[in-house]
Amino acid sequence: MPLGLFLCLTLLQPSPTDTLKTRALDEVVVTATRNERPMGALPLPVTVIGAKQIQQMGSLRLNDVLREQTGLSIVTDHGQGLQVQGFGPDYTLILIDGEPVVGRTAGTLDLTRLAVGNIKQIEIVKGPSSSLYGSEALAGVVNIITQAPTITRGSVSARYGANQTSDLSADVSRQWVVGKSGKLGLYAFGDRYQSAGYSLSPETGSQTVAPFTNYTGSGRLTYAFSPKLKLSISGRYFNENQTNDFLVNSTLRVSGPGSVQDYNLNPVLTHQVTDRWKLIYRFYRTGYYTSTDLRYADTRQEYDASFFRQTFNRPEVVTERMFNQKNILTIGAGFIGENVEATRYTERKQFNTTYGFAQYEWMPTLRWTVIAGGRYDAHSQYASQFSPKLSARYALSQSVALRGSVGVGFKAPDFRQLYLNFDNAVAGYSVFGTQEAAAGIARLTQQGQIAEIVLNPARLATIQAERSIAFNLGAQFKSTQVPVTASLNIFRNDIRDLIDTQVIARKTNGQNVFSYNNLSRVYTQGAELESSWRWTFGTGLLTLSSGYQFLLAKDKSVEANIDAGKVYRRNPTTLVSEEVKPSQYGGLFNRSRNMANLKLFYEQPKSGFSASLRGIYRGRYGFGDRDGNLILDSDSEYVNGYVTYNVSAAKTWKVLTLQAGIDNFTNYTDPQYIPNLAGRLWYASIRWAWSAKQI
Amino acid sequence: MRVNQILLTVCISTAFFACKKEDNPVVVAPPTAVTVNSLAANPTSVSSVSGQQPIAATGKFTLFSFKDGKQVANTDSATNKWDIGFRSTTIIINGGPLRSGQGGAYTHTGTFDALTAVPTSASFAQDQSATSLAITAAAGQGWYNYNQATNIISPIPGKVFVIRTGDGKYAKMEILSYYQGAPANPDATSAARYYTFRYLYQPDGSQNLK
Repeated sequence: MPLGLFLCLTLLQPSPTDTLKTRALDEVVVTATRNERPMGALPLPVTVIGAKQIQQMGSLRLNDVLREQTGLSIVTDHGQGLQVQGFGPDYTLILIDGEPVVGRTAGTLDLTRLAVGNIKQIEIVKGPSSSLYGSEALAGVVNIITQAPTITRGSVSARYGANQTSDLSADVSRQWVVGKSGKLGLYAFGDRYQSAGYSLSPETGSQTVAPFTNYTGSGRLTYAFSPKLKLSISGRYFNENQTNDFLVNSTLRVSGPGSVQDYNLNPVLTHQVTDRWKLIYRFYRTGYYTSTDLRYADTRQEYDASFFRQTFNRPEVVTERMFNQKNILTIGAGFIGENVEATRYTERKQFNTTYGFAQYEWMPTLRWTVIAGGRYDAHSQYASQFSPKLSARYALSQSVALRGSVGVGFKAPDFRQLYLNFDNAVAGYSVFGTQEAAAGIARLTQQGQIAEIVLNPARLATIQAERSIAFNLGAQFKSTQVPVTASLNIFRNDIRDLIDTQVIARKTNGQNVFSYNNLSRVYTQGAELESSWRWTFGTGLLTLSSGYQFLLAKDKSVEANIDAGKVYRRNPTTLVSEEVKPSQYGGLFNRSRNMANLKLFYEQPKSGFSASLRGIYRGRYGFGDRDGNLILDSDSEYVNGYVTYNVSAAKTWKVLTLQAGIDNFTNYTDPQYIPNLAGRLWYASIRWAWSAKQI
Repeated sequence: MRVNQILLTVCISTAFFACKKEDNPVVVAPPTAVTVNSLAANPTSVSSVSGQQPIAATGKFTLFSFKDGKQVANTDSATNKWDIGFRSTTIIINGGPLRSGQGGAYTHTGTFDALTAVPTSASFAQDQSATSLAITAAAGQGWYNYNQATNIISPIPGKVFVIRTGDGKYAKMEILSYYQGAPANPDATSAARYYTFRYLYQPDGSQNLK
């Protein structure tokens, strides 16, 4: 529909007069190659979202920004995670300045932890990037590039909105000249975000989102010893406190505090040895800590008191050797030491990875760009991984280019899948990581709790990393006459050894003992179409962009069993079992076959006025099984498709900007199935931004 | 035309009555499938708290006879009068060391209608102990799946239970719902522990289940 609309508008609009002399320079991205490269020449699908656009959208957190991008959706499971090309949140690596953010709950890295006020740009690379980044970069990589010290400037902003949500944020940047050739720079950012949460169904007596307050502090110190030797030290601290209070059933109330903290420190030394040879030494340390203390309101007895502490250390050396303009070699090596301590683990667990990678960029003619690379990861707990990738771009003409890539991605079994040791005292089941399963079963057997062993736990010890092979094939169009761009990308991901929970034993209380195993083979495939059109409108500039993604994501063994007539469903009216027809299989849960967006941005530079209207469509998707066959096959197992409309407007007077907006202004909600979609949210903000003339 | 119809009707009725009167063991109507609606299986009056004894539950099995198509009193539990028993998600069969009947159960994968006889490969399991029953009482391994997100119990589609009854006859049964009134999409408000199932009982002792 947005595509059709776009085409209509395209036909209706007269060709814009060539007044747009300020054609945007090609943006520079680092994520695709780990080096600064113009985006237009890359053989991979890359999306860049700049600070200005983030401000125009009125976004506060990373999930707000990513929700509106083509082919991405935000899914809720222990936090708000990102779905890329039909992969769940576990399979996309989230980076800050090229270094991984850690701290996942049930595989989800909660994007609300990340404030956007300190972001220079967000780069999104779709398709596997394990050849550069290793584990977790299976579906793609989101890299947040934070602001660096530039000219002397500063800003303060305050915002208030629905649900008593307030945000206060400030940043400052300054540079000093030291001695003859030294240059010192400082950038600092602080943010306080608070909300009273909301309840979509007040009659239940529980909040959908609990009240919380969080603080983010981040900054970067740069020092240029000389033009050839530069040091950058960046860091971040985040702290959130939640106030939980909810009903576990009709009578029992549970309440208590919860907290989340993370921090990181990242010194980077860049040595430009010669014009054509660069060495980068990086060190990264990050930590993530959560704790909860939930108690029954009446007895103050413990409901769930737990903590989780993870740390991650990584030294790395990368060298970039430019033989000439057409041949560039990048080589890197590093070591990762990770450990975790938690209530649900028997002891402090540690694992290590040693890795090396290489990448060769070759531009034989002006038309061709070829990038070949690979990475080898040797891990202390599971088999070593080699992840190669080859991509190429060919320019058919000035305006049309073809690009394609084939690559391997992997995701290591995580701490939970290896080491979890959890007995649910309330419900009576147990979950063990693969390395704990044998000991756990032995303990339960000794206690007389095991009725039957279904799978010998010794067989789980050799768990493999999940692997995928991905193909991306696309075309780019960028008109040389009018400011119109369009792109198409077709993708296919074949994933094997997908790790899933498996029942390994049955307990005498009728509950199961679960562990993890390499069980499924799935595929995701689809197409993504994007276009943008920019033209003058009155004294302003109007940008219309649209995007659409078609997606199929299915389990191969389920498909094969359906074809063989071995899968049954319950007839929705008679409740009698019948065979599932291939056309009834809807694929993996939580994946929309159709997603689309249509966005209008208007800007009038002279008067300082800007506005935006964005419509985001998410097609229907499965939420869970209802008829007992565990697959998606009947209409009642789907959540209805929906559109959210967001609108914002801003006006700037010199250093002062006022902005107001409404997210989800049609007030679409689905309390039962989409708890992360709050109703209509209005907000208003004031921002003061000051900058000195260039030194 | 009309006269013919009436004549035919008269003829058939006469034949039928004649049969009955002379008591000749000839045409036996083929067994038909019967659906039992919302058979209470130790329900609770108030939704219970996990891990605690349900309120107002009797803790007793609801015993059922396929032959009579009705519930059997618990006082007859040590006889072969009953064939199958239900108590929340646990299903028992009147056969094995724990029971006095000759029963057994075999789980067939397929549809109810397509199963026309006891499969030759069928092996009948019996209730060996409270934790080793003919029909396993655990999610995903016996007759139901459990959704941890919604707390809903769903009978696994395509599971047909071939039951050898307490007195050694055969029947096939399929469980359709675990909730009162057999709603198509049970939710948190649906009353659990009510079995709706259909079965076909073969009274002649053969393995024919058509």
